[in-house]
Amino acid sequence: MDLTYDSGTLVVTVTGGPPPPEPFVWDARTAQWRAPAGAYREVVLGLEASGIEYVDRASRTEKLRLESRVAMEPRPYQREALGAWRRGRPELRGVVVLPTGAGKTAVAVSAMEKLGRSTLVVVPTLALLKQWYSVLQDSFGHDVTVGLLGGGYHEITPITVTTYDSAYIHAERYGDRFGLVVYDEVHHLPAEKYAVIPKMLLAPYALGLTATPERPDGGHERLPELVGPVVYRRSPEDLAGTYLAPFETVRIPIQLTAQERVDYSVADAVYRDFLQKHRLSVRSPEDWQRFIMVASTSHSGGREALLAARRRQELRANAERKGATLERLLKEHWSDRTIVFTKSVEEVYALSGRFLIPGITYETPARERKEILDRFREGRYRAIVASDVLNEGVDVPEANVAVILAGSASRREYVQRLGRVLRPREGKRATLYELVTEGTGEEAVARRRTEPYAASAGAP
Amino acid sequence: MLRGEHVMARLQRGRLVPHRLRPDDRPVREVAEKLIGLYADHASARGTRARLEGEATLLEEEIGPRLDVRRGFRIVRALAKLLEERSAWAPPTEADPYTLRTRLFELAAALPELPAEGGLLLEGSTRGDLLLQVARETGLEDPASLMYADRQGAQVLAGFEAPTPEELVGRYNVAQIQGVLYGARGLTVDLEAGSDARLVFHYVKTLGLIYTVEPTRKGHRLRLDGPLSLFGGTRKYGLRLAKLVPGLLLTEPWELHADVQWKGREASLELSSETPGLRSHYRGPAEASPESEGDVRGAFEKAWDRAKETGGWELGEGPGILPLPPLKTALVPDFTLRETGTGREAHLEILGFWSEKHLVERVALVREAAKRGHRVIVAAPESLGSSPEALRDATEGEVVPFKSRLDVKGVLAALGS
Repeated sequence: MDLTYDSGTLVVTVTGGPPPPEPFVWDARTAQWRAPAGAYREVVLGLEASGIEYVDRASRTEKLRLESRVAMEPRPYQREALGAWRRGRPELRGVVVLPTGAGKTAVAVSAMEKLGRSTLVVVPTLALLKQWYSVLQDSFGHDVTVGLLGGGYHEITPITVTTYDSAYIHAERYGDRFGLVVYDEVHHLPAEKYAVIPKMLLAPYALGLTATPERPDGGHERLPELVGPVVYRRSPEDLAGTYLAPFETVRIPIQLTAQERVDYSVADAVYRDFLQKHRLSVRSPEDWQRFIMVASTSHSGGREALLAARRRQELRANAERKGATLERLLKEHWSDRTIVFTKSVEEVYALSGRFLIPGITYETPARERKEILDRFREGRYRAIVASDVLNEGVDVPEANVAVILAGSASRREYVQRLGRVLRPREGKRATLYELVTEGTGEEAVARRRTEPYAASAGAP
Repeated sequence: MLRGEHVMARLQRGRLVPHRLRPDDRPVREVAEKLIGLYADHASARGTRARLEGEATLLEEEIGPRLDVRRGFRIVRALAKLLEERSAWAPPTEADPYTLRTRLFELAAALPELPAEGGLLLEGSTRGDLLLQVARETGLEDPASLMYADRQGAQVLAGFEAPTPEELVGRYNVAQIQGVLYGARGLTVDLEAGSDARLVFHYVKTLGLIYTVEPTRKGHRLRLDGPLSLFGGTRKYGLRLAKLVPGLLLTEPWELHADVQWKGREASLELSSETPGLRSHYRGPAEASPESEGDVRGAFEKAWDRAKETGGWELGEGPGILPLPPLKTALVPDFTLRETGTGREAHLEILGFWSEKHLVERVALVREAAKRGHRVIVAAPESLGSSPEALRDATEGEVVPFKSRLDVKGVLAALGS
């Protein structure tokens, strides 16, 4: 029988003889036997075991000679993680759980090196897309061109990085090319939409990486079927002290100027009136969504409330003294490596122009992003300012000072951002500044952010 | 196409009614005219994207509520999104912003301290000095303002294909229907007699959809979804199913039914070519230029009637759809020829326009049809394609070439061979 790949599925042409075994089913629409491409490994092993003769025209995966140029002495737990993945059941499939900052990417790079197969890396954000591009280019760029799919890039090579969204759309076109698939932040994969991705890829080998596989919707129970079981797991506590650098947090209160205070109280009154009138309270991101919905569909006062809410946030985020304080911090740490985080993309460009330091947002092209971070690492740049892009496991090595301007109340985000300065470096003492506007809701946000984490935060 | 958040529909006893605008409604016309005017003005002034977006937001706030108190904003935004599809953007400067900013960052980082704006009275502003230096180096007046001129918001509107207000509203109504279909697992289309099935299959194939076909009283029923749908319904093909709709709108009569997920609930969408006010913005595939093809067919029918000798063959209406499922498409011949004595049958398909690739594919279809017991003869005009030699080479002599009109003799010769 002949095995071919067709738009995310495997199709068998049988010339006489018995029908192909499960998981093939008869597709009456096209009069062919069909199976999801994800079943490729099972199909081929099954055919081999039963001695059925077949011609594999489906797989177009490539063997590569991959030798990482970046000399890396793997930390013991990274070596253990790789070993556990290679010896897993089924072998070469599974999820590795390591805390943010512990070098998950390095595990993937070693896995690729050991396996030497064309590889697709799937990541949740454009920032991570560019981050992985950078790492893979450094490691294997001398042998293989690294391709990108998503965020305006559409270049498929034997080592390609893509996003979950782009993979969902395009995997069926390229799903026959890769032998290994690496899912970064694999806790995204069990989402209803993304769970289709592994079905379309015939890659026999899969590696999932995350710091937190658990999903509130219980979706993590599908991980074994989608990528493989959890084969290795270490918590931040397991690695604290030895591998994660100590740091201290400094909270700097910012007071509004007189004019800002007046503007703020006006906007705040309009906003609060609306909340009260509609018996709403805003304590979580879901509450906020609800407020937006009620306000945007309300006949009277909704629009004003929305504008007031926006004005409030702007005032809080862009308080004049915040800028001045940032200037002072940048001056003080001009000989350190400082990274400034802000929520708004526009603010990144404003600050970049004001202090003439490179800015990074989701808009920054992959090559320039790599260049900026490389130079920051080498010390050619002293400071950079970035929007949310540095979230979700994107690493900024060598930063020893971080400044957070107007963060949001998400605990996960906070932890992951902290992870950035937790990058270990000899004799390094990291400082994290948080600029919080006083007399506004932002203090509560900052408090909420730390509370569930308080026990483990701070210098160990 | 609209973004998910622009899509609006009403749920009426399980049936979805996509949001519609009436082109003859005065406020609707006014909104459409104003938006088109905004884009057109911007195009002639080569305005930036950021400014256009700002002005569009103002317009949204001004005219949105007049159109619809609750949803006006979204409607205006959706209309703007559709105008975006007709816009071409270009960079605002010939200078390379990347080189410029990189130079600034490098110079700044080399300074012993942060390039502050004001600085102490006697020290002056290091930031100003630095910008001045780069201005001298590059000849640019204000380097700071061009640092990020390659951002999307800094692009200028270089071209805009203005629609009429009716065209815009028509596009909006179709786009809302398409939006509802983003959540579809599959689509059922009843193609009734007289509809151009060949055209429909052209889109089915280019969109990579899979179909099944069954005859109905009035014509044929197509069920459409994708390869993975076999393993449990997926909404992955919703976008492609949505893209089929403007293709369908190029022909009639048909009816359409889809089960879609709408805000977490199961609902259905029903539509037919009778639904008023829907117009396609697709131009149709090159091969389907109905006038010229119609001419060739009509002329062939007349020529056949006048012919003294037809070798015992009779010309009749085409057989409808000959499904070729493994190739994801079908043949839809124009005529069926029947030999009176033997009852032998052959179908004749007359192509309008063709390319070499197109003909090679067509020959593959003819061979697949032959496997299923259908004899199909394809006739293609020499003049509209490349050379007659190319035609013969491409098809290994399996296509009947003709000059301006197809003559009976050529077809009879092919039947005899």
